[in-house]
Order: sequence, then structure tokens, then C-alpha cells
Amino acid sequence: MTTSIGESVPRIDARDKVTGAALYSGDLVRADMLHMKILFAGRPHARVVSIDSSAAESLPGLAAIYTARDVPFNEYGLQKRDQPVLCSPSQHAQGQGVRGDIVRCEGDQVAVIVAETEAIAEHARDLIKVQYEDLPAVYDAAEAMKPDAPRIHPEVGDSNVCVLDKIRKGDVQSAFARADVIVEGEYHTPYQEHAYLQPEAGLAYIDEAGRITVECAGQWTHADRESIAHALGLAEEQVRVIYPAIGGAFGGREDLSVQAVLALAVMKLKRPVKIVWSRKESIIGHGKRHPMTIKTKWAATRDGKLLAAETTVIADAGAYMYTTNKVLGNCTITATGPYFIPNVKEDVYGVYTNNVPTAAFRGFGAPQALWMAEIQMDKLAEKLGLDPVEFRHRNALREGDTLNVGTPAPGKVSIVQCIEAARDRFGWSEKRSLSTDPQSTLVRGRGFACGFKNVGFSFGYQENSWARVELHGKTEIDHVVVWHAGAEVGQGAHTVMAQFAAAATGVPFEKVTMVTSDSATMGNPGSASASRMTFMAGHAIKGAAEKALAKWKAEERPAISEYTYLAPKTTPFDKETGYSTPNLSYAYAAQAVELEVDLETGFIKILRVVSADDVGQAINPALVQGQIEGAVVQAEGYALTENFITKNGHILTDQLSTYLIPTVLDIPDAVESVILEVAEPNGPFGARGLGELPFLPLAPAIAGALHDATGVWFNEFPLTPERVLRGLGKIK
Amino acid sequence: MSGDIVITVNGKLHTVQSTPDTPLLYVLRNEIGLNGPHFGCGGEKCGACMVLVGAEPRLSCHLPVSEIGRARITTLEGLIEEGELHPVQRAFIEEQATQCGYCVNGMIITTAALLWKNPHPTDEQVRTALDGNLCRCGSHLRILRAVRRAELLMSGKGSE
Repeated sequence: MTTSIGESVPRIDARDKVTGAALYSGDLVRADMLHMKILFAGRPHARVVSIDSSAAESLPGLAAIYTARDVPFNEYGLQKRDQPVLCSPSQHAQGQGVRGDIVRCEGDQVAVIVAETEAIAEHARDLIKVQYEDLPAVYDAAEAMKPDAPRIHPEVGDSNVCVLDKIRKGDVQSAFARADVIVEGEYHTPYQEHAYLQPEAGLAYIDEAGRITVECAGQWTHADRESIAHALGLAEEQVRVIYPAIGGAFGGREDLSVQAVLALAVMKLKRPVKIVWSRKESIIGHGKRHPMTIKTKWAATRDGKLLAAETTVIADAGAYMYTTNKVLGNCTITATGPYFIPNVKEDVYGVYTNNVPTAAFRGFGAPQALWMAEIQMDKLAEKLGLDPVEFRHRNALREGDTLNVGTPAPGKVSIVQCIEAARDRFGWSEKRSLSTDPQSTLVRGRGFACGFKNVGFSFGYQENSWARVELHGKTEIDHVVVWHAGAEVGQGAHTVMAQFAAAATGVPFEKVTMVTSDSATMGNPGSASASRMTFMAGHAIKGAAEKALAKWKAEERPAISEYTYLAPKTTPFDKETGYSTPNLSYAYAAQAVELEVDLETGFIKILRVVSADDVGQAINPALVQGQIEGAVVQAEGYALTENFITKNGHILTDQLSTYLIPTVLDIPDAVESVILEVAEPNGPFGARGLGELPFLPLAPAIAGALHDATGVWFNEFPLTPERVLRGLGKIK
Repeated sequence: MSGDIVITVNGKLHTVQSTPDTPLLYVLRNEIGLNGPHFGCGGEKCGACMVLVGAEPRLSCHLPVSEIGRARITTLEGLIEEGELHPVQRAFIEEQATQCGYCVNGMIITTAALLWKNPHPTDEQVRTALDGNLCRCGSHLRILRAVRRAELLMSGKGSE
């Protein structure tokens, strides 16, 4: 029996992508298609008093203008239905979860315009007159926590605090009292924009079975369907969501963008409707990575053992919940790094403001927490006179050590192996080549950091994923058809799924066909997020294949089976102590970085990154390497160039000319992937998750290297030349 | 008046129905039905909309169709000859250089143009040529390897 597990088979979508045959949602067309534009609020906090669309309605070619009045249940939200589909006056504004006539951020959608051409829709949008009554607004999360701050959602709770996670483990006070070394710090982490190259786009129509069908880019077909159906007052079966090729996601497509309004227009007009967002609409219209302020105090003993960590996190949730509660749950867990700390106290706040909502983004709260935790580790090591890698190694989680939630991580804990692998490949212990030219303004430094990340949804959610496997043939299996609705966002999920099916049925990879991403013909795949798809889909396909093989042996032709994988159970945080078993699996990583900084210009060049990532089992090593290299580049942008600027609730960096993601000239000279395979006993064929993992350690590893080069700690980033020069005291 | 402009795309003549100031990208996508060139930013900053105008890689999202004249336009689709992938396309598959694939059009168009002009570019020349093509999946290192593989294929030294 051949198996394709562990082989770098070519991606099944590669040929279509290099020839232009792959269709993304913006490529789709239908006869008799209308075009949609959205009127965004463009202001951070206001009551919509009235909308006058009379001039727009008289335009030839206009099909319809919809406002909140037209939305049956004007509310949505992945974790909490706290956002109106459209913000405008409505006769049924009362009695729902959220007031529909209030704008809470500039990206709120006020009205949608549908016309025969895009130009007419745009013209009509500009003719709509909206009367706003501006409301007092708040743009700073700490300010928003004050009792007299303007309230963003006065209908819920008694403050703008929308999330509070607590950890109480051991006794931090007595630990600090007996500590030999204490390091305190305050850290600030920035927004990050997903900047997927494909802006939001979709085509909606009524399919042959009469279903309202939305083809778009997303991360979870069935969650999109549920949100659309709820807002439109339809049964889920009356709505269908299909994903064609997706031009990147990174968490930014977890929440709705164009889906509900497209479906609304099709429901009313019974004609196909298409929308493509501009880059500015994309940047204003979807959530960002949470900016956080983190205050912390860590203690260790003289011989280099961590004793205690006390941390307060304030995260800007923006105007709506999106996935803030889950992001902060993960931030809470990772705020002690992959280290054993016996005494921990944490208070982690998510706070509503009138800023752009913050949402899922690769790493999901861990990059912010690890920026703090890993720099704290470096500072403690320096104070103790210990090598920072040795200090990490000494405190790294071992089998059975409890996390800050009071229970050990399930599965094999492999952070020690990751540290050793990154250390050895990098040559950390070897003698260092210092800057040779004393006249040069270029100085080199090296840094090291670790990370870990949950695999799969957690905190008590019953993880699941569905698959269907068909075995066709007579005496031998000729070909295998796999049905799975999981999103291919570029990571290679569909290729990996085919590899799982080949391995589970014993046929060559080439004989597997994938049928994918359609909510009408497939069960719930779960989201392409939380580094979960390989893990969950692998189990689902393996389960379905085993059932189908049993039928095959019983002479059924074709042999067809469906299977829903149910993952081991998890538990939510205890409200007061955080005690829980919140996750079913973790993955671990360590990275070493060498950089060069120009003391005159403040410009940083990353020379070399070694990334050691334990993936349990690499299903497709080339794709694993692609994820590692890609995450490193994206994290480099987060650390160095991506300076997302807002002012009074307005996003100022709303173009790719002002929000700078790394280009081929910015990327590290070399990224060396060290793929570890410490089998995960819970994982399919031993696999863990990967997508987010290599993103996590890079920013703090760069901070460590910059300190190594300059002697200066930077607690805030991105490390733009200006910030570096300010830190070096060269400019004010 | 529309209807006066005729352009050559992938070896075929097309009479343009759009107004003369319409950017080439929308003519290719909406009139001719070519999906190789993509809309990414609409501001000439990302490279997703690239096409070859003659042998030059050009951003098409602001380029008025009226300025094309007699120049031959080649899109990603037009690199295929008699069903055979262009060596650069093959190299991108073989090096697993695509992830989400949205940037790949511009990356391949730029690479093809570079290698025609300069069959053996230095690393610096390759990076400078590709600097205008954004890739958010961070496939750059794989793309650089694909450029080198394409170089071998085009000079007849590549293995099949």
C-alpha cells in the first residue's frame, strides 16, 4: 500500500492558479446580473436620523436601495449578535439584540444600492442624503473603561467591558515577596490589517432548488449560512454558501462582509447580484488584529526558575464583539508563554470603542501575549546573567506541568525539542561573528523566542467536522471522491485532504477527487481557522474512509459513507480562577533570528530566521514549509513595516500605498524551516496544527535581536526606522 | 465613441465596447472574459492586474485602453501555447510557489518578461523586478526558487 502522507505532492489547485483558470468570487458572472454598492457610515458614532434616497431612486438603471427597514432580523455576529446588518432607522429597531439606527464605527453599513451597472450604483450611493446626529465617541480602550465614558452598547451590561478573563493560580503575592529577581514592563502591540490580496467580493443568486445562494470568500461555509439565514428570517436550508477560490483570509474572512447584504438583495429582487469591494472598502470594512496594552510583572529565583507572573491586558475590541472573546481566551492562555510558572494572576479585558472592530488574525491573541512574555523572558535572563535560550530551556513546559489554567496541556508537550532544534540549527552556542568594521553604522544582533498555540476551537465548544468518502470501482477501487466543505484559503487544505483520503483508503493520491466548499451538499466542516483544518478534516476523512472501506468489503458498489468527527471535550474558564482544560491539542515552536540594524537610519534588515515547528506529522512537507515561510514574512511585516494608523475612529492607512506589507526586497535573506514531528496522540496520523504557529515567535525574537545589537529594549512596535531612531535617542 | 478601439489580446483582435478611458483591466475581465489579471488594489500598488504589453509587464488597473494602440497584449492565459504551459508556469507548479494564488498572475507575468529580456538575471535583478508584486501569503522565497527553475527550463537545462 502506498501512502501519500509525508510526501510533497503538488497542490491540486496549482495548475488552475498558474493559468488563470481558477475562479475567485470577483471573477464570477451571471446573465442578467445586477451590481451592488454599499454606503458606509464613514463616521465613528452617530444616530441615523433619516435617509433621503429620492434623488438616487430616480436614476435610470437603479434597481433598489435597501436600509435597515428591509432586513427582517437586523443583527449578526459570530460570537454575539451585536452588529446591525444595516444601520438606519427602522420600525422594528426595538426588541432586537442591537439598536439598528446607531452607527458605532466608520465601517458600519448604512444602505445598499443595487443597479444595472456598477457606475449607476456608485452614482446613486453618492446621491443618498443621510442625516446623522453625532454622538460622543471613545477611541481608547483604557478611556472606554472609565465609568463616565460614552457607551457603545448601552443596551447590554453596565460598561464597555465586553470580555474579562481571569487567571488565579497559586499565590503571586507571596511569590513576589520571596523572589530574587523581578522584571516589570508595559507593552503596546499594534493593529494589523489582513491585506489579503483579493478584496471582498461575491455573487449571489437563486439556485435551481430556489435557495438564496452566495458565492464568496469566507472561512466557514456553514457559519456564513447560519448568519445570513438568521438576518433574513429564513431556515438555514433556504440559504446556500459556496466558496470558489479564495485569495487569502488569515482570519479576516471569519466575520461577514458582503454575504448578508448580497443575500438580502437577491431575496428581494430575485436576480443575481454581484459586488466587489475596493481596497479602501476592504480595509475599512473588515476587522483587524487587536491592539493591546499589557502591564506585567514577572519573578524568578536566583538559579533561574520562574516563580510568578502578574499581568493585566487591555484589548481594544472596537465597535463589535466579532471573535474578541475567543481571541482573548487564547491571549490569556499564552500570556505565560510555553513555560511553567507556579503562581499566575491575570486580568484580560476586551473593551468596546468606536474604532474599527477587531477580530481573528493568524495567531488569535497569542502574538500580542507572546510579545510581552518573550521580552519578559529576555529581560529576566539578562538580569540573571543567563543565556536567554538556556533560561527558556530551563523553564519550558515539561510533560505534566500545569499551564496557567491549572491543568497540563494534553498530548505530547514538545517545546523543549523545538528550543533545542532552533538553537542547534542556528548555531546559538557557536562563537559569534561580531561586526567587523568599526567605521560601519551597521550592527548585528540575534534573538530567540518561543510560541505555542491551541489547535482547534476550545473553551467547551464541541469540536466537529464532517466528511463523505465515496469508493468507486468494481474489483479494485478505481477512484475516490471526497466531499468536504472546509475552506481552501491558500494553505493547501484541499490537497492535504486528498492526501488523507489516499492514505486512509490505500489508493494513490492521483485517484482522489475533491468536491468542496458547498453548504448545500455537505455537512459542517468547521472553520478554516485556529490551525484546525488539517487536524479536524483529517479525522473526518479518515473516519468516513474507514466506514466506506467496511462497505466496500461487504461488496457495496459504490461504497459511500459519511462521518462526523467529534473531538475530545474541553471546558471553559472558571470565571474567577480560569481553571479549565480549555484545549484538546497544542502545537509548539521556537525561532532564532539574526538581523542587522543601521544606527544612522534605523532601518532593520532580517538576515536569517530559523523556525522550528512541531507539526506532529507533516502531511505535505512542501506545504508546511510554505506556511512557515509565509508566516515568517507576515510576522516580519507585523514587527517592522505595518504601521496601521487611526485617528478619532478613522483609518488613515486605507490603501496599500500607506499600509506597507513586506515585498520581496523586505523579506529575510533566508528562512530555514526545521520541521519537527513529535506525534500528537490525538491527531490524525499524528498531525497537529500549523497555520498560526510560525507567526508567533518572530516579533519578540526580532525585539531580542535588536536589543542584542543596540542594548535598547523596545516594548512597542512596529519597529519602523523612526521608532528605532527614537529608541536610540537619535530623534525625539 | 466606443467601438472604435481594436486591441490584440493573446493573438486575437477584439473590438472594445467600453469607453476609451476604461482601464485595460476591466476590458480584459468584463468584455473579453479573461480572469488571469486580477483586481487587487486599483491603485497600481499590488501587481495583481499585470499583463504584458508587447514584452513589457504593465499594471492594467489604470492603463486606459485607448493607449494600447497596436501593442500586443498577453495575459496569463496567453502564455499557454497549444495546451503547453509556459516554462514559468511549470516552474511555479513544480516549486509549489502558489498559495492563495491571487498574486501569481503578476508574479508569472513579471518573471516571464524578465527572463525574456535577461535569461540569467542576478538575484538582485530578480528581486528588483518582483518588488512591485505583493504577496500576502509570503510565498516570496518559493517564488524566487521558481524563477530559478524557470531560468533553467527556458535555457533548456531543466529536467522534465
